[in-house]
Amino acid sequence: MTTFLTYTVLGLVLGAVYSIAASGLVLTYNTSGIFNFAHGAQAMFGTFLYWHFTQVWNWPTWLGLIAVIGVAGPVMGAALHALIMKGLRGTADVTKIIVTVAVLLGTVYLAQWIWNPDEARTIDMFFGAGAKVTLAGVTVRYHEIVCLVAAVAIAALLRVLFTRSRAGVVMRGSVDDPDLLRLNGHDPERAAMLSWALGSTLAVLAGVLVVPISGGAMDANMLTLLVIDAFAAAMFGRLRSLPRTFAGAMVLGLTVTYVLAYLPSAGTFTGNLRVSLPMIILFVVLVVLPQDRLRGAAVRTRERYRVPSVRSAAVWGAVLIAVVYLYSLLLPDAGVTAFALGMTFAIVALSLTVLTGYAGELNLAPLSFGAIGTIVAFHFGVTGEGLAARLNVQGVLLGVLVAAVVGGLVALPALRLRGLYLALATMAFGVFLSNMVLRDTTEHEWFGQRFTIFPDGSLVIPPLKAGPLDLRDGTAFLMTATVLFALLGIGLAALRNSGYGRRLAAMKDSPAATAMLGQSLVRLKLSVFMISAGIAGLGGVLMSSAHGTVSQETFTITGSLALLMLVVVAGIGYISGALFGGLIAGVGSAVLVSTFNDLALEHESMSSLYTAVGQLVLVGTALVGMGVGRNPSGFVHDVAEAYRSLRAAKPVLYGGGAAGAVLYVLALTDVIGTWTFAIAALCVLMLLPVIGKSVLEEKGRRETPLELLGIDEPYTDELRARLDRELGLPATVRKGGAGVPA
Amino acid sequence: MTEPLLELSGVKAGYGAIEVLHGVDLALRPGTLLALLGPNGGGKSTAMRVIAGLHPATGGEVRYAGRTVNGISAQDAARLGICSIPEGRGVFPNLTVRENLWAATGTGARLKDMEEKAYGRFPILGKRRDQLAGSLSGGEQQMLALSRALGTDPAVLLLDELSMGLAPKIVSEMYETVAELVAGGLSVLVAEQFARAVLPIADSAALMLHGRIAATGTPDEIEDRLAGDYLGG
Ligand SMILES: Nc1ncnc2c1ncn2[C@@H]1O[C@H](COP(=O)(O)OP(=O)(O)OP(=O)(O)O)[C@@H](O)[C@H]1O
Ligand SMILES: [Mg+2]
Repeated sequence: MTTFLTYTVLGLVLGAVYSIAASGLVLTYNTSGIFNFAHGAQAMFGTFLYWHFTQVWNWPTWLGLIAVIGVAGPVMGAALHALIMKGLRGTADVTKIIVTVAVLLGTVYLAQWIWNPDEARTIDMFFGAGAKVTLAGVTVRYHEIVCLVAAVAIAALLRVLFTRSRAGVVMRGSVDDPDLLRLNGHDPERAAMLSWALGSTLAVLAGVLVVPISGGAMDANMLTLLVIDAFAAAMFGRLRSLPRTFAGAMVLGLTVTYVLAYLPSAGTFTGNLRVSLPMIILFVVLVVLPQDRLRGAAVRTRERYRVPSVRSAAVWGAVLIAVVYLYSLLLPDAGVTAFALGMTFAIVALSLTVLTGYAGELNLAPLSFGAIGTIVAFHFGVTGEGLAARLNVQGVLLGVLVAAVVGGLVALPALRLRGLYLALATMAFGVFLSNMVLRDTTEHEWFGQRFTIFPDGSLVIPPLKAGPLDLRDGTAFLMTATVLFALLGIGLAALRNSGYGRRLAAMKDSPAATAMLGQSLVRLKLSVFMISAGIAGLGGVLMSSAHGTVSQETFTITGSLALLMLVVVAGIGYISGALFGGLIAGVGSAVLVSTFNDLALEHESMSSLYTAVGQLVLVGTALVGMGVGRNPSGFVHDVAEAYRSLRAAKPVLYGGGAAGAVLYVLALTDVIGTWTFAIAALCVLMLLPVIGKSVLEEKGRRETPLELLGIDEPYTDELRARLDRELGLPATVRKGGAGVPA
Repeated sequence: MTEPLLELSGVKAGYGAIEVLHGVDLALRPGTLLALLGPNGGGKSTAMRVIAGLHPATGGEVRYAGRTVNGISAQDAARLGICSIPEGRGVFPNLTVRENLWAATGTGARLKDMEEKAYGRFPILGKRRDQLAGSLSGGEQQMLALSRALGTDPAVLLLDELSMGLAPKIVSEMYETVAELVAGGLSVLVAEQFARAVLPIADSAALMLHGRIAATGTPDEIEDRLAGDYLGG
């Protein structure tokens, strides 16, 4: 009985922390409509600050608390709102998600930069770990009492704020209709900023409270994910109700604690289950709880994508293969291998193009489907031993198939879900997979077969061999991956231009209207999810084989999120967006960071500078991700638009081509280095539109008559919007009976 | 004639590079109701948004009580006594009726007074005070929106398309309320497509076509014109 009570108290304490974190999430979601994925990262950052204040600068506890909860927390939230979140009104769900994900990644990178992750840090309990009382045989520490009291007080205060104060009512109103709030004499931005400041403060408080309870050293990634567990609690209240969030948090805390207490502790299973339980609960809650109905009116967002024709996709595919081949001639072997790895990421990224770019659905864990493909290929597709080991085609195909089926299985319960909810469900699946399956190093026996899913915690994936084609050779691997990417790209362009693709686009714009037209949403969603998961599986197998050895680390949710972020930054509606996003995710940051780390090792006097630059690259990519709100269609879109206008300035194009050719010859003859070439070529690519623009302007600008817009002039978004308007297609529902004689 | 309380002269406004209002002239005299009529896309709502401070004017002047108020923020406009009920539903769907009234006190009114006036005028709202506004019927939502004008005691009321999606009977009830407010000294500018509903209580009317005022005059003159050359009888 005493044991049970002890665990109950522990569970309630954990629940208390979850409830504090979750109520912060609910708060910001209800005032700004943004689900803050960075909530955990904010908690983490505040906690590290607290550690720094109290342990490094030796401030007393109370001063440290005031500094982080009274100052750092609110400032962080207010700054986030002012700099980033304010600009997100009118963007698609995926953009909102990506921006907060970028904040998450940026904060984690920043924390790892400031606080070297190799050092162990701990935070003491309030009043020390020894301060405790014993009630009915149960020992309760003062710190735990603080947690419980704080949670109850915060829940009560927030409830009062939201329902009994005008400030709270205004906050809730600001998500519905900021303009109407202005007409009522309020300032919606102030209300939103207040809520971000409060939410961030709650996150920091949760972080400071949870670290001593969960024990062990502080780790930026772990701490971030710990607060992400609170998502499940927030979902209990459907992101609206605070009392239900509180109850959900308690259930979550208790369940997690009881699992640890009462399940057999042999093997890794219980520990893994305990870690992934919040995500399992999140998935179940998402699927079981009734969700908002489909919105009737189409949501007009700021994202715009152009649909490529199959022919242009084929031409560009050929160009890509040629360019990659020519470039690979310049690269040393290590460079070719890294490039090949990037290309496999680009294939995984294609799965996002279909799913999000074409169909408007979300998957936050593309690498997890890659992991499934990898496991299957490892168990069924490897022939030979040691260096002679090869992956066979059947194994890869089986991996793709299983990934597609699992994709369907994950999507099936989640079919009713849209946007954010779907994103969370896939994230739950991804975290679950990497905690339960990819850590499953014990032996199982099924149907008389003995096997281990993830022997020794890592898998060795040999290169593919198909007939005469042996991918042990780096260039062969790179070119195969490139050709596969090009073929898939052409296939996707064909898909997008088919009737099926148009149905997907219709579903993206207005699910309700699509359903009314008699389309089966279920079939559409399920099939597109399976296609996407299959592509991710293929890319994943190739990626693993390019890595050589993979472990749980290869497929973390952070990796998936970083990939998704980069693809969105590049332009998730475009095949080229997948190419650039994938390449940057696969090689870009890894190569740059390791280059700078090598430089740091070589030049000891400059080592801190080089390490800093390497870290800066990481934080910089995250900063770019935060800028997505300003340019939600991605940079590929901008570059393409810029080049489109160059058609009128042919000489500039020819000049650019010539400059590129000269650079290439110089590089091939070793006059300039590979890096110089890459940077110079990139400069030419970026500068051409600028030069072209000035040339065009010199030709003299004349007003294009209205009827020639789109013929003499490129067709801009503005024009498209205007045309929509003239045709009476604005997003707002117009009343019928226009101009009926009164 | 008295000085206009609200006056637009040569007001231009647009969305992005596209100009929607090409110089609008309007004058609302104190204690009167001016009906702004015209077909879809004429720019009525845009003009209302400019007056309310939600949308910037790119040219011309907006004068309120003799002062130029171009570039004023919507919050300030509301505090100066311009009460605007926008197109669609001027309510917060996720707040209850009572909370909606509470949010409407941003310009200094007291919640108690708001509730008294709103429930007194529209008893049905009193019965539904704890219901989410989004789950009210269209007519009840417009009543709630109109309650803001009742309770905050503004100087000017801007009403955009009060009739949208409502049964004619409800519409005329609404306009009865508006007429009472006008009788009490309020100045009202109504944008409306459903001319028949508002012309009987209007003191003057203006016809807006393609971002310009095509005609102004008494309600009868404008009605003739509407029936004659614009709607083709
Ligand atoms: N947010 C917007 N972005 C771009 N253009 C807009 C926007 N709102 C309105 N417009 C355009 O401005 C023009 C005038 O619109 P407005 O809503 O003012 O007309 P209206 O007279 O109120 O029409 P209705 O009777 O249909 O309400 C229309 O051509 C419309 O398409
Ligand atoms: Mg209108």
